[in-house]
Amino acid sequence: MIRVDSDSQLVARAQGGDQDAFAELVRRHSDHVFRLALSILGQGFSAEAEDVTQEVFLKVHHALPSFRGEAEVGSWIYRITFNQAVNLKARARYRKPHLDDTVLSHSVTAEPGPHSLLETAQRDRSLAACIQTLPEVYQAALRLYYWMGASVAEVAALLDVPENTAKSYLHRARQLLQGLLKEKGYSYV
Amino acid sequence: MSEMDPREVEMDSLLRRSMAAPVPSLRPDFDQRLMGELRRRSQPSSQFSRILLAGYGGVSVVVSTVVMRGQGLGWGATAVMILGPLILVATVPWVWRATHSTTRHIAR
Repeated sequence: MIRVDSDSQLVARAQGGDQDAFAELVRRHSDHVFRLALSILGQGFSAEAEDVTQEVFLKVHHALPSFRGEAEVGSWIYRITFNQAVNLKARARYRKPHLDDTVLSHSVTAEPGPHSLLETAQRDRSLAACIQTLPEVYQAALRLYYWMGASVAEVAALLDVPENTAKSYLHRARQLLQGLLKEKGYSYV
Repeated sequence: MSEMDPREVEMDSLLRRSMAAPVPSLRPDFDQRLMGELRRRSQPSSQFSRILLAGYGGVSVVVSTVVMRGQGLGWGATAVMILGPLILVATVPWVWRATHSTTRHIAR
């Protein structure tokens, strides 16, 4: 029978110098860490999200000896990820946020006709710009939920908050976006 | 999401349409590269080497100061001659990391 260690057991083994245990932790959490970093940094920043993922695991490895297990291993890792990605984002403001080409091509297929196509593209661009003005946790929640297709439970786990809080992040973000788009003169139906 | 009002439902639908795009994933060799980087960083640097290097640095600074002052250089010029190369040496790894990281992003 194959023995599957829990995260805490893996951490205990890694604290004892077992590199295989640490590698297993990386395998378990790297995709989540990458997606969380990407949800904070936004579309078009996958290279930076990968750098954040690497830095997070290097920090986790460095901090392993002092980890006492007060928090869940996953929560601990995701909190480091959130801080690391937000710090990088603050340093990388020189890069203008942009819409991924796929977003525009998607709009093209949804709305035939050159006029409505242009309108849709402009509205999507405005929406992306509005999203950038929201608090980081709202942006991350929106991208995780709408772009990456995460469930509310997954959003809550990655942002290390209760499910109701994740729901209220999404609700509040939608409300704020409604207001912001209205200010820009867009009807979004 | 059943508690959404009609306007929120519209926004929900707009967000679904507008944000629909492929999600990138980590490169398949990420784990190997990370473990390689970990091995590289955890090379134990010998304490003896560090003490030796610090001692050499200290003696160099003292000898350089004495010699330069002996040659009639002022304190300002002496400080610049000693600290200039030190700042250069400290800056090079930082610049290299920044350049290396940018090059990697362009390559992707």
